[in-house]
Amino acid sequence: MEYALKIEQLNVNYGRTPVLWDISLAVPRGKLVGILGPNGAGKSTLIKAALGLVKPLSGSVAFFGKPLKACSGCVAYVPQRETVDWDFPITVRELVLMGRYGKLGLFHRPRAADRAAADHYLDKVKMLAFADRQISQLSGGQQQRVFIARALMQEADIYFMDEPFTGVDLATERVIMDLLRQLNAEGKTVFVVHHDLNTVESYFNWVILLNMRLVAAGEKDLHYTGEALQATFGKSISLLDEAVKLAQKKESGRM
Amino acid sequence: MLHYFTDPVLRAPTLGAMFMCAAAGLVGVIFFLRKQSLLGEALSHAAYPGVILGVILAALLGFSDLQEASLTSFILWGAFVTALAGLFSIYFLENRLKIHSDAALCLILALFYGVGVLLASHVQFTLTNFYRQVQVYLYGQAATMTDIYILIYALLLLVIGAIIWFFYKEFQLITFDRNYAQTIGIPTQFLDGILFILIVSAIVIGIRSVGVVLMSAMLVAPAAAARQFTHHFSKMLLLAMGIGAISGFLGNYFSIELGVSLPTGPMIVLSAAAICFLAILFAPQRGILWRMVRTARFRSRCQQENILKAIWRLGQGAGASLEHLKRLIGTNSVELAFNLWRLRVNGWLTHRGAHYELTPDGINRAAKIVRLHRLWEVYLVDYLGMGAEKVHRSAEEMEHILTPELERELTLLLKDPKQDPHAQPIPPAPFPTAEV
Repeated sequence: MEYALKIEQLNVNYGRTPVLWDISLAVPRGKLVGILGPNGAGKSTLIKAALGLVKPLSGSVAFFGKPLKACSGCVAYVPQRETVDWDFPITVRELVLMGRYGKLGLFHRPRAADRAAADHYLDKVKMLAFADRQISQLSGGQQQRVFIARALMQEADIYFMDEPFTGVDLATERVIMDLLRQLNAEGKTVFVVHHDLNTVESYFNWVILLNMRLVAAGEKDLHYTGEALQATFGKSISLLDEAVKLAQKKESGRM
Repeated sequence: MLHYFTDPVLRAPTLGAMFMCAAAGLVGVIFFLRKQSLLGEALSHAAYPGVILGVILAALLGFSDLQEASLTSFILWGAFVTALAGLFSIYFLENRLKIHSDAALCLILALFYGVGVLLASHVQFTLTNFYRQVQVYLYGQAATMTDIYILIYALLLLVIGAIIWFFYKEFQLITFDRNYAQTIGIPTQFLDGILFILIVSAIVIGIRSVGVVLMSAMLVAPAAAARQFTHHFSKMLLLAMGIGAISGFLGNYFSIELGVSLPTGPMIVLSAAAICFLAILFAPQRGILWRMVRTARFRSRCQQENILKAIWRLGQGAGASLEHLKRLIGTNSVELAFNLWRLRVNGWLTHRGAHYELTPDGINRAAKIVRLHRLWEVYLVDYLGMGAEKVHRSAEEMEHILTPELERELTLLLKDPKQDPHAQPIPPAPFPTAEV
């Protein structure tokens, strides 16, 4: 079976601190996947490692059986909103057009077709009326929608979204969720780093439960259980965390 | 004024400085938006020991202090090499030794500049003839530049302009959102490399006219000024280029026209700083003056709405006397009189003598403000769990700020409540609540 994403024995360290321990999982095509776990569990790091933004210590990542390099263009990324400076001098449309920069290649300017596509996807996230606004004038939810429109511009097969529901208004959450379901219905695979456990049931059909190590990955109905949640969010894990930090301090001679 | 561009003595410093500052302005925009303005400062100081090493090397190889052209190329290469060394040292400190960026920049700035000063004093005593050359690069000396510098600086501007034009969309993207750029296959490290070469080139070539100590101002000031006027990356680049060129010209102009002979380099920097300062004060939208006007307008609107609310509370058709309003609003009478006048002119109030009454429109507006006030109180109490006695203050402010969209959302969220936490009635919504 061909998997949209297959990760094998992935280990990631920041400096000497381990962030992800021996993660192996395989997600079939066409799933709407929630990545769940407490703060500092390595949810964002998992995405970043899959996208090649963080260099893993060991392990491999494959999209449809190919490494990322051979599959560039099949993956789109929506970073956390706070990672960029929203006072940057560009308009909403210019930001969305960035989604085409990879396909355009060096030296080529966005064409009329790209601008039309930008407007199309802005309309999909109900932000077309804001196309000529400065990005500094957007609310949190609007910023998130624009970011998603930019990822849609890539017309990829797999989407990674880092906390798209954090700090957004109800209307935005609804718009985003409708879009995710639509992408899912088109056979796309969508990964969403998610915080709100109340909505997991209704939002996703797959889950990845993470707390530095992989607790569970699979069909929501089978793996989203009280037991798994306990293992992911329970207090037992904080002991591991403490011990790791201690070990790291000792090793580097800071203690 | 035109003779600055034609006079054989004046044209080289003037045109040279204009091209140089325009080039620095262009590069400066990118580093300003990357929030790395301090990098220019560190790198220009790191170039100083290279200047002197270049001079020493030239002297050792038997060049004389009068062979200006060869000496200059030694100096430029020396400066380029140590500035790059400074750049790599900063990179090493930040990424390998995990030292914070600001500390790394300060350390390299001081370290390289210190070595430069040490070498300079050595040159002063052993190669006295060359010392003049060394001094030139410390504070710059545009006035002694020859026509060849027009060419050098024009070339610098051309190359920097062309490269930014070629990689415009990539530079824009990696400056705004680096991680994303990487995921769509933009060669971020290659582009970073180009940007670093651009900034080092601009600095190394620029220090001849404004000197290592002041060079970084020419990177920052035009960018900071340009940011005040535009919200577009492309326009910001063009504006910074223009502001740089104007500063270059004004520096030369003032250094001669002010009567006493003033050094050109500092005058260029002062001109750029003055433009930047004026932009921060007076630029439309973002300028401080503009903001003060907006604050005053908002304050006045708040008081006008408070007046409407105060009269509304007194009951239908009651109205209020000026004395009564003074007690209710508690402000100076000039401000009150002004706001009452505005309210009358705009049709919210009518008056008979000193007795003020709301017009029907005024009643609607006052009810809307009271509605927002009480909705906000309900929201704070029901959703944020604040005590009912603590919410009034926040609502006093929010009633002037909440937009119709937010009012709709509040109405929806709170299911159009009829009473606030103090059991006061909430005036009905101005829109059909069934549909929200």
